[in-house]
Amino acid sequence: MQKKKRNLAPYWLILPSLLYLALFFAYPMARGLALSVWDDEAVLPLRTEADLASAEVGRMHQGTQVEILGQQGNLLADTLGDETNLLTELWFNVSGQDVDGAEVSGWVPETRIRVREEADDGTPLQGTVRRRLGSNADPLTTVFAEPNENSAEMGKLEASAEVQITAVATLEVWYQVRGEEAGQTIEGWAPSRFIQVFGDEVNGRIDRGTAGEFTWGFFERMFNDRFFGPAVRTTLLLMVLIIPTQFVLAIIMALVIQARLKFNSIFLYIFAIPLGVSDLAVGILFFSIFTQNGLFNSVLQGLGLIDAARPYLTADTRGWIIAAIWLAEVWRATSIVMVIVVSGLQAISDEVLEAAELFGAGLWQRLRYIILPLLKPSLQVALILRTILALQVFAVVIALSGGDVVTVLANETYRQYFEFRNANVASAYALFILVISMVSAVFYLRAVRTQQEIAS
Amino acid sequence: MSQSGIETAVSPDVLAIQQKHLRRQKLNRASTYVIAILISLWILIPIFFIFSMAFTTQEAVRAYPKSILPFIPFSLDTMRFFLNSEGIVPGLINSVIVAVITLLLSTIIAAPAGYAISRYIFPGRNFFRLSILAVRAFPIVVLSIPLAVLFIQAGIFDSIYSLALMHTALALPTTILVIGSVFASIPYELEEAAMVFGCTPWQAFRHVVLPLVLPGIAASAVFTFVLSWNEVFAASILTLQNRTLPAQILFSLSNSSEAYQFAGGFFMLIPALIFMFFIRRYLFNMWGQVTK
Repeated sequence: MQKKKRNLAPYWLILPSLLYLALFFAYPMARGLALSVWDDEAVLPLRTEADLASAEVGRMHQGTQVEILGQQGNLLADTLGDETNLLTELWFNVSGQDVDGAEVSGWVPETRIRVREEADDGTPLQGTVRRRLGSNADPLTTVFAEPNENSAEMGKLEASAEVQITAVATLEVWYQVRGEEAGQTIEGWAPSRFIQVFGDEVNGRIDRGTAGEFTWGFFERMFNDRFFGPAVRTTLLLMVLIIPTQFVLAIIMALVIQARLKFNSIFLYIFAIPLGVSDLAVGILFFSIFTQNGLFNSVLQGLGLIDAARPYLTADTRGWIIAAIWLAEVWRATSIVMVIVVSGLQAISDEVLEAAELFGAGLWQRLRYIILPLLKPSLQVALILRTILALQVFAVVIALSGGDVVTVLANETYRQYFEFRNANVASAYALFILVISMVSAVFYLRAVRTQQEIAS
Repeated sequence: MSQSGIETAVSPDVLAIQQKHLRRQKLNRASTYVIAILISLWILIPIFFIFSMAFTTQEAVRAYPKSILPFIPFSLDTMRFFLNSEGIVPGLINSVIVAVITLLLSTIIAAPAGYAISRYIFPGRNFFRLSILAVRAFPIVVLSIPLAVLFIQAGIFDSIYSLALMHTALALPTTILVIGSVFASIPYELEEAAMVFGCTPWQAFRHVVLPLVLPGIAASAVFTFVLSWNEVFAASILTLQNRTLPAQILFSLSNSSEAYQFAGGFFMLIPALIFMFFIRRYLFNMWGQVTK
């Protein structure tokens, strides 16, 4: 049946899928792990000068309180967008006559020029030098060789002198800060976008850093999250409710299919329908049943059991919501267990069952002593799969409870990512789900193996 | 004489036992039918109810108690309202595009791998199969967040094409195993015979194996389509503006009328109802592999 030659062909054939899975499974997995324990913005390096190329003085952690000692503009890289704390300065390249009447051109801060004429697109073309206020201020405005107050002086302009504006430069402000890090005082320069300055303009804090660091912080935030406890409890409760019910129902369904009734093909089709139904659709399905004017209340009222519609899916009726989720999940995911069990049943030879029947074994005895023991590998696979899927219950919960009254782990992952915009804590949640999945899978594998070992 | 004597001596007892046995079998069979019908009702009644809600007036959707007979009054009102809601038609189109890309991509990538694991014994084969099994059981939740971050960094976030890449990754392990089992069900002797009669390996594959496996591969492709059509979590994390139908419905679930929700539920159910019919024979093919 199988070619028994050793060649490279199979490797070429599996190569595309290996590459694809590496790219879209292994790599994201590694990234997910990194996201949950690696803080990309943990530390901010401070520089000796307001220049990224200058030497590093030291590093400061996110959130450290600092004192603002000074500031300086630096030519802004084009790639920076609208970052929250980014502070910029504009400088104009001007040309005009200086105090001595000589032609001078160079850079002046935007604050020193009043723009008089603009092009249609808003580019300043011409302006006058502003008057300096205050009695002891220098009445003249210095023109610099570069858009930087430390650069060479080209000349001085008198107040109200007319200048042509030939270019505009956007500068990013750097702050000189001083703060304590690990008991040591560090002083250095950092770009404004990493520093949040308080209202007094003297104090501030490191808003975020540029270098990463290992941290348990995201997991701590997950454990301290107010939804974490309820989510874990509900997820586990749902697992305990859903899985046994599903297995009993699935074995019954599989036995019905194996009985080869007259309309077997139709029954198989009906039993398989939920396999193709999404969890969101099932959530809506059971919402339509349990909503206040839904099917359940209508039937109860029709039978005369209740007088008025009762609410089931509200904050006061958590029990009903859990029951609805339970039924919805049993409705949806029993089919897959059934398919696995039928596959397992087909592997059990009819002779064995017939022999048992001949010797007078009833249905229960056949089930208990022949079918279930022989089904063990299939059940093991189904159990692992179902546990992992039960940990991912998500849309059903949202459809039936809105995601607040009753919450589960997958829903919290979604909330952290979508509402709180925190991919790190979301990754921590996702990883937590993965760990539970793996632990339960290993548990099932071990549990079955030890029984076999005891038997042998 | 002696033979018939034995017969006459034994037959009343045997007959009685036989009849008892037959009666019990009939009873068993009858109760099996009852159970089968009960389970079918348990599955069909919610579907039937949501269908009747999707094809009635909005007043009937709000009414209480609901009439026992469904589809009364029959109307396309709810459906029209749903289809005219914001984002539904684009969502439908997006869902179809994503599902079709996923189907094509995963089948093209998975078919050679499926052929390899069913036809060749090579070092690393078991490792490959095991890792595919492990990957298939992997939580989607775990994968979606880092992928979203990666897609944002790569500038392909909020695109139905990148969502299709993600869905392909989700579908690939299952598709490989299913196609593998489909190939395994075609004896290699057939290929060998074709080659004995002078076919090249490629011709043998093209003219003998391919026609036999196409239905099975089609079934797995249909299953992939349904998987992508149904996927909610990754779709709602990876898209913002270009939502697929489930993501759009999930997003507007909390502030929408019941008519909208029921019609949406109906729409998401349709592919399951249609496609399950065609692939029901292959279901065991898909999952039989797992236990071996």
